[in-house]
Amino acid sequence: MVKRAHRSAGFTLMEVVVALAVFGVFLWIVVILTADMRNWEKRMPINYMTHPQISAVVSRLRRDVEDATQPYYLESSNGFNMSEKTLIVYRLMQAGTVETVVWDFSTEGTVTRHSFTSIGGETSKWTANGTPTFRITDFPIPGSPDSVRIQAFDKDGKLAIDQIIQPRTH
Amino acid sequence: MKRQRGFSLVEVLAALLVLAVVITTTMAMFVERQKRMQAASETILAYQAIANEIEVRRRIPYAELEQADPAFVTDTTILKPLAPFAATVAVAPAQGYVKVVTLSVRWKNRVERVAITRVDTGGSNLW
Repeated sequence: MVKRAHRSAGFTLMEVVVALAVFGVFLWIVVILTADMRNWEKRMPINYMTHPQISAVVSRLRRDVEDATQPYYLESSNGFNMSEKTLIVYRLMQAGTVETVVWDFSTEGTVTRHSFTSIGGETSKWTANGTPTFRITDFPIPGSPDSVRIQAFDKDGKLAIDQIIQPRTH
Repeated sequence: MKRQRGFSLVEVLAALLVLAVVITTTMAMFVERQKRMQAASETILAYQAIANEIEVRRRIPYAELEQADPAFVTDTTILKPLAPFAATVAVAPAQGYVKVVTLSVRWKNRVERVAITRVDTGGSNLW
């Protein structure tokens, strides 16, 4: 009896092709799904509202502007001048006193809020880091000429935050 | 000598099936998470536009609400990633001295609405 030579069992071409085809279909599905997501990511700006420091900036700024009282904004105060990168708000406080709040956006990536008493002493300073590029402009609304518009742009220049805020009636 | 056997096609397919199920489940979770994040981001953009429009609509005199532009008068650049979209305003009288102003942003198959109530304060605009 002739002993059969040892056969090393591998895959046939057909087996390999079938296995690769199955896996290929699966990979194709994955690529389609991720391409869709990447497309969406390219269109959308960064969602800064999910960044605690940035949403804190927007919330505090909103509160300051809503609490603003006559004359609402100052052209200059404590060495700061009003500009697209600096907002100076004259706001009413809960105790009935007033304070001057300076929002300084002039340093890239940083936002600083200074508050000063009416005679000029600095009472607090708060800084948020890792912030986008902010811009402050006025946005006159009929009946409310003292509204401001706060905009922030992500690193690709896409508009990510756009909020109009007007002082509330006290 | 011990005979070395390879895997059969059925074994390889079974292994691939298990792998595919595991990866597909993981991908499905990932995609679902992305979809929810996408929905949240889109909602935030829509609400920013709506909040801005509210600031204008709350200053329009009560008697002129119906005559105001039914489209958003504020800048809607923030909604650009949602294009094509429709941003509209509808005014409906609720009672004799109350009107409900509903602001809507529609895009794809989604819509976000916010309604504000305006009360006739006799022109003082204090409310």
